[in-house]
Amino acid sequence: MRLAVALLAAALTACSVGPTEPTRITPREAAAPSPPEASDVSVPPTTSAANPPSCDATASLRPAAVQPAAGQMPAGSTMAKIAARGRLIAGVDQNTYLMGFRNSFTGEIEGFDVDLARRLAQAIFGDPSKVQFKIVTSAGRIPALKNGDVDVVVRTMTITCSRLTDVDFSAVYYQAGQRVLVRRNSGVTGVESLRGKKVCATSGSTSLANVTARGANAVSVPNWTDCLVMLQQIQVDAISTDDTILAGLAAQDPYTEVVGDRFTEEPYGIAVPKGQEDLVRFANGVLEEMRRDGSWVALYQRWLGPLGPAPSPPVARYRD
Amino acid sequence: MLRRVTGLARSTPGRLSLIALLLIAASFIAGSLTAMSVINRAAALEELATRSEPLAHAAQEVYRSLQDADAAAASAFLSGGLEPVDLRARYETDIAQAQAALSRATASHPELTATLASQLPVYTGLIETARTNNRQGFPVGAAYLREASGMMRNQLLPAAQELYRAESDGVAQAQDRAARFPVSEVLLGLLALVALGLAQAYLTRRTNRLLNVGLLVATGAAFVSLVWVTLSAVIVINDVGDSRSGGSSRVGVLVDARIATLTARSDETLTLVARGSGQNYEKSYVEVSEKLEGLLGQARKIAPSAEVDSASRHFMDWQATHQRIREADDAGQYNEAVALIAEPSFDELDADLVRAIGLARQGFSGEIAAARGALVGTAVGVLALALVSAVGSSMGLWQRLKEYR
Repeated sequence: MRLAVALLAAALTACSVGPTEPTRITPREAAAPSPPEASDVSVPPTTSAANPPSCDATASLRPAAVQPAAGQMPAGSTMAKIAARGRLIAGVDQNTYLMGFRNSFTGEIEGFDVDLARRLAQAIFGDPSKVQFKIVTSAGRIPALKNGDVDVVVRTMTITCSRLTDVDFSAVYYQAGQRVLVRRNSGVTGVESLRGKKVCATSGSTSLANVTARGANAVSVPNWTDCLVMLQQIQVDAISTDDTILAGLAAQDPYTEVVGDRFTEEPYGIAVPKGQEDLVRFANGVLEEMRRDGSWVALYQRWLGPLGPAPSPPVARYRD
Repeated sequence: MLRRVTGLARSTPGRLSLIALLLIAASFIAGSLTAMSVINRAAALEELATRSEPLAHAAQEVYRSLQDADAAAASAFLSGGLEPVDLRARYETDIAQAQAALSRATASHPELTATLASQLPVYTGLIETARTNNRQGFPVGAAYLREASGMMRNQLLPAAQELYRAESDGVAQAQDRAARFPVSEVLLGLLALVALGLAQAYLTRRTNRLLNVGLLVATGAAFVSLVWVTLSAVIVINDVGDSRSGGSSRVGVLVDARIATLTARSDETLTLVARGSGQNYEKSYVEVSEKLEGLLGQARKIAPSAEVDSASRHFMDWQATHQRIREADDAGQYNEAVALIAEPSFDELDADLVRAIGLARQGFSGEIAAARGALVGTAVGVLALALVSAVGSSMGLWQRLKEYR
C-alpha cells in the first residue's frame, strides 16, 4: 500500500508541469545614428602625403601698381568677366561657426571668410552684396574651381604645394594652426596623446592627413559640424583641425575645450582657378588695402575676438 | 466484420441497406466538406476586408507620415528664424500618425516594425537636438538635421517600405485564397450526383420501377447544392478580380505615386538646404519625378478619374515651379528660390492623390463587400441540402426495403 502511494506520488510529480523559464525582453541593438557619409580612414590620404612637391607655397603674385577702381575692371580681365555677369560667385562654407556659417535666425551666410568674399565683391562692383554664395565641402573645393562652378573659394583653405598644382592662391590672409578639441576632463592634453584614439576630421582637409600621420584612427565626415555631432554623441574622442575652426566648435558646446599647442602651420589663402593670374593679383591688392586701412583687424575682432586680441595681419610674400 | 458486410452484400435487402448507408455518408461528407470550404472562402474575404487591406493601409501611412515629417522638418529649417507654426504642427501630426499606424501594423509583422519602433524615438530626438541648437544660432543644428535625415532615408524609410511590401503581399495572398476555383467542392458534388445516379439505375434494374421519388429529391438537392456553390464561387472570383483591377492595383499605383511625390519634395527642399552642394538631391529629384510622371500616366490608364487628371495637372505646375526654383537658385537669387517653395502646386498634388487613393480603397471594399454578400447563407444552405439529400435517399431506399419484409 505504502509502495503504491509512493509510486503514485512519483508519477504525479513526473507528470506535473515544471516551472517555465521567466520570459525576458531582449532589446534590439540600440540604434546609433552617425552623420551621413561618415567613414573610418585606415589608410592616410595619399594626395598630399605621397611625395609632396616642394615649393615656396605662400609666395603669391604682386598686385598691380595701381589697383583698378571698383566698377572699372580692365577690359578682357577675369574681373571684367565677373563684372559683366553682375555678381561674384564665391565658394564658402555654411557649417563652420565664425568662419563661414548660416545664421539660423536670418538664414544668411556669415563669418570671417564670408565677409572677405563680400569685400572682394565690393572691390569689383562697389557693392558688397553682389556676391552669390555657393556652399562647398572641404573635398569639393578644388573640383568646384576646376569645373568653373565658382570664381573664388574663401573657405579656411590651407595653401599647400600639392594644391598649388590644381589651383592658384592669393597671399596669406590668415595664419591658422592645427590643435585638438576634446570633451572637458578627457585627459587628452594635445596631439601627442591622440595615438590610437578616434579622431574626426573632414575628408579632403589637410587636418585629416596630419591626424592619420600621427597614428590616430581617423574618422572622416563632410563638414566640421558633423565632427562636433560625433564628439557630442561619444562616437569620437577628439576633433583635430585649425584653431579657428575649433574655436567655432567650442563656442557651440561649453563642455568642450581646445588643448595642446599648435602643431602645424595652416596659412589660409583665397583660391582661384589655375592660370587666372590677374584675379590673384587683384585679390592680393584687396588684401593689401585691408591690412592698410585696418579693416583686417576689424574683421578679426568681429568674428575671431574670442580667440584673443587681434594679432597683426600676416605679412604678404610675393614671388612677383 | 468484413465477412458480415460481404454477407450482407450478397442478399438484395442487404445491398439496399448498404447503398442507403453509402448515399447518406456521401451526402454528409460532400456537404460538410463543401460547407467548410465555403466558410474558408468567407474567412479569406473577411480577412481582406477587416485585416489585410487595413494593415496595408497602415503600413502605407507609416511610410507616408515618416517621409512627410522629414520634409516638414527640413522645410522648417529652411525658412530660417522661428520655425513656422504650421510646419511644426505638420511635423508633430506626422510623427503622431506614424506612431498610431505603426502600433496597428505591429500586430502582423513584429520583426519589421521592431526596427521602426526602436529608431523612431532616436530620430525625433535628433530633430529636437537640431532645433535646440538652431534656436541658439549654432550651425551644429544643421548637422543634427542632416544626421536625422540620413537615418530616415537609410534606415527608417527602407524598413517602412519593406513593411508596406509585406502587407500588400498579404492582400494579394488573401485575394488568391478567396478567388481559388472550388475544384474539390465541384468534384465532390459531381461524385455525389454520380452515386445517386448509379443507385437509381440499380433500383430501376432490380425493381422495374422507373423512378424513385426519394432518390429524385436527393438528386435534386445535390444538384442545387452543386450549382449554388459553383455560382457563388464564380461571383466571388469575379468580384475579387474586380477588387484587384479596380481596387488594390489602383491603390498600389497611386500609393507609389504619392511616395514618389513626397520623396521628390524632400529632395527639392534638401537641395536648397545644401545651398550649392546638393547636386545629389537634385539628381534624385529628377529621377524620382520621372518615375512619378510614369506612375501618373499609369494611373490615368488603369484608374481614370477627375482626381487623377487634376493630379497630373498639378504635377505639371509643380514641375514648372521647380524649374523656376532651380533657375532662381542657379542665378544666385537664393531668397527668391526659397520663397517659391511655398507655391501650392505640391500640396494640391498631394491632396489629389489622397482623394484618388480614398476612392480606390472604396472601390476595393465595395467589391469585397459584394463578394461577401454572394456567400451569405451558402454554408448553411449547402448543409441543409446535404441533409435533404441524405433523408431523400434513405427514404427512397427504405420504401424498397419495406417490400422485402
